[in-house]
Amino acid sequence: MSKAFGGFPALADVTLNLSSGRVHALMGENGAGKSTLIKLIAGVLKPDSISVTKDGSPLPLNDAQDAHKAGFRFIHQELNIVPQVSVAENILLGRDLPRRFGFAVDWNKVKTQAEEALAFLGATHVDVTLPAGDLPAGDKMMMKIAAALVSADQNEPVLYVLDEPTAALTGEESEMLFDVIERLKAKGTAILYVSHRIDEILRICDDITVLRDGEFVSKNEISKTSKVDIIQAMTGRDFKDAYPKREVPIGIDTIASLENVDTSNLQNLNFELRAGEILGVSGLAEAGQTQLLKLFMGLGKVKSGAASFLDEELPRSPSDAWARSVAYIPRERRGEALCLDMSVRANIVLPHLSDYGFYAKPWLENKDALEFGGKVQLKSSGSTQPVGQLSGGNQQKIVFARAIQGNPKLLLLDEPTRGVDIGAKYDIYLLVRELSANGCAVILTSTDLPEVLGMCDRVLVMQEGRQAHLLERGEMTSADLLSHFFNNNDAA
Amino acid sequence: MMQKLRQSGTLLGFVLILLFFALKLPDTFLTARNLINISQQLSMLAVVATTMTIVMVMNDFDLSVGSMASLSGIVAAMIFTAGYPVWVGLSAALLVGVLGGLFNGFLVSVVGILPFVATLGTLTVFSGMAFLLSDGKTVFGRDIPASFSGFARAGIEIGDIKIPMLTITAGLVIFICWCILEHTNFGRRLYAIGGNKEASHLAGIKVVRLRLYAFSLTGLGAAGAGLMYAARVASANPTQGSGLMLDAIAAVFLGMTMSRRGEPKVIYTLVGVLILGVLDNGMTQLRVDSYVREILVGLIVLAAVAVASLSKLRQA
Repeated sequence: MSKAFGGFPALADVTLNLSSGRVHALMGENGAGKSTLIKLIAGVLKPDSISVTKDGSPLPLNDAQDAHKAGFRFIHQELNIVPQVSVAENILLGRDLPRRFGFAVDWNKVKTQAEEALAFLGATHVDVTLPAGDLPAGDKMMMKIAAALVSADQNEPVLYVLDEPTAALTGEESEMLFDVIERLKAKGTAILYVSHRIDEILRICDDITVLRDGEFVSKNEISKTSKVDIIQAMTGRDFKDAYPKREVPIGIDTIASLENVDTSNLQNLNFELRAGEILGVSGLAEAGQTQLLKLFMGLGKVKSGAASFLDEELPRSPSDAWARSVAYIPRERRGEALCLDMSVRANIVLPHLSDYGFYAKPWLENKDALEFGGKVQLKSSGSTQPVGQLSGGNQQKIVFARAIQGNPKLLLLDEPTRGVDIGAKYDIYLLVRELSANGCAVILTSTDLPEVLGMCDRVLVMQEGRQAHLLERGEMTSADLLSHFFNNNDAA
Repeated sequence: MMQKLRQSGTLLGFVLILLFFALKLPDTFLTARNLINISQQLSMLAVVATTMTIVMVMNDFDLSVGSMASLSGIVAAMIFTAGYPVWVGLSAALLVGVLGGLFNGFLVSVVGILPFVATLGTLTVFSGMAFLLSDGKTVFGRDIPASFSGFARAGIEIGDIKIPMLTITAGLVIFICWCILEHTNFGRRLYAIGGNKEASHLAGIKVVRLRLYAFSLTGLGAAGAGLMYAARVASANPTQGSGLMLDAIAAVFLGMTMSRRGEPKVIYTLVGVLILGVLDNGMTQLRVDSYVREILVGLIVLAAVAVASLSKLRQA
């Protein structure tokens, strides 16, 4: 099976060869043309020229229907689900539901069909009658994959396209996904796998194609390439190390301290955070990581125990937190951090508007936006550009620019590099190191374990809202850390 | 290109409407007297629409402005009837506006009811209160002090043109709203709330409090417009403001089609108000049936918003 694209502005003369039973990785920085390519295969975008051949014979590909007929299935990073409707219906969405007497929906059949699809994925724990919106992020992904599988009844899928499927998954859920990919492979389908996570790609993929600036850079078998080669192909420059090292020792001042703290959804919090320290928070999906960060934003009440921030009580509200030099980078960039229709400038200065007094001072805001945008190496067409037009990496840099403008004493990072390409990731790590060198304490949570281990001095492991372990970084590996997610006996 | 067309389309439409009436009514339309007359006719709508813009900036709504305008007129008139001086009546009416607005804001931002539902509820409540207070009757004649109704007839003379006080009042309100939304950090925050409520909250913006303030300003504007109307007709009746709400929302929507990212802006709202006012005036002069007029106004608003929405789809 081979495909060729030519002359699309965002994509020039790229050829992709996918073979059945093999997982093909597609890599490239943001803006390299991965999304364009996927949209072309899906028939969503009209190419200037395209030729698709399957087993030597040409295949029509003019719209989404053609793509579906050809047996192409897509699982996107942005989970398009209908949250109010049951899991089963979401899985069967867009298809005729099984019927009784020719008109009434046969709900039992709906349920069994959905359950069968989930069972194939090994996700038997999901209750298909729940509203889809109530599922944890990982189960939602399983649901979407199940939905792609179900359509297999009508015509055999020959190609699955997975766009950053693990971005919202925890380590454990990713493992489940990899098993599924193995099974799909065994069935003889081809898989196009798009991800920013190189370790994953090295593990599960067979071939790799790298794009840069809309052009084809290299194609190779995974076994014949290495991490360094891939990164070099993607960025076009030599690559030293994925994570910058700590250069300034941790300070002595205590920034925050929690002693036997319980809140409405967290228990047994016990740690001290010193100036410049980077504390990782890790655990299975939704074990309380986000709530722990939000506690310092004044979202959550301390029920018992002693909690202090800079020798005073914890902030009472987000506005109190920002005023007291806490900066927060939320998990959902689009939903929780940015006003997408608004300008770069307005988004950067947003939490600091009170610093400008009663009257708006656009020239001052502009100056600050340029200064802090420059510090984070933001690439935009100017401070009035709407942030919705920027790439994911640059959007995240805006959120960082906002955070450093307040000269924070405590920086809260929830998945700071999710959906961010390698180059921008490194810039972000450098920023975090610089802030830490200036005495800012950092709490970081991420599902990307190498990131946690690469950046953090200590790692706090949470289990079901409870602080289970507080580990020194030391020589810990991802596997060591992962094992602490499950094990209850605190050896450390 | 599409963007430019969308933004200037409504303005172009406005110019065409002006041209049409100027040609059809060569002797009466583009005269100083008629233009001043238009400005006075639409001064109440201008006040309601610009203060409505304040909540619509946050993606909120206030459907209760019309009945608030009726209520405030009635409150003032009842206080005049009871023999209190004019300033007491005015302050009480404006206070009712602020309190009503705060109540709307409370329902929307503290209780968390959708603005559409919350203000639909208060619409009926305010209207019922106006009927209850006035016993369903129009208050007029000697009960309305001359110094109150005289305000609407007064004006500032410049040469041989007299600019009515109502026009000047509306101008002031527009100017203040423009300053608030465009030139204060309060306004910036309201736009941010409209852009993304959750993000604004997490970025330390006091969303609940600001929504309360914004709704109370809209309530105040509605009450002010009610007083202006009562002064102009030297009477108050419990249904006098009922037409204001739909026109005000229509004016803001018309204005939104002109702004770059489809957000409400005071200046564009003003253009929306002018379009509605000019249409009304011109068609009255052409003796177009008032029912036909309503149909036409509705169609124009739909057309403008449809063009804006279609061009946005095209962009995506």
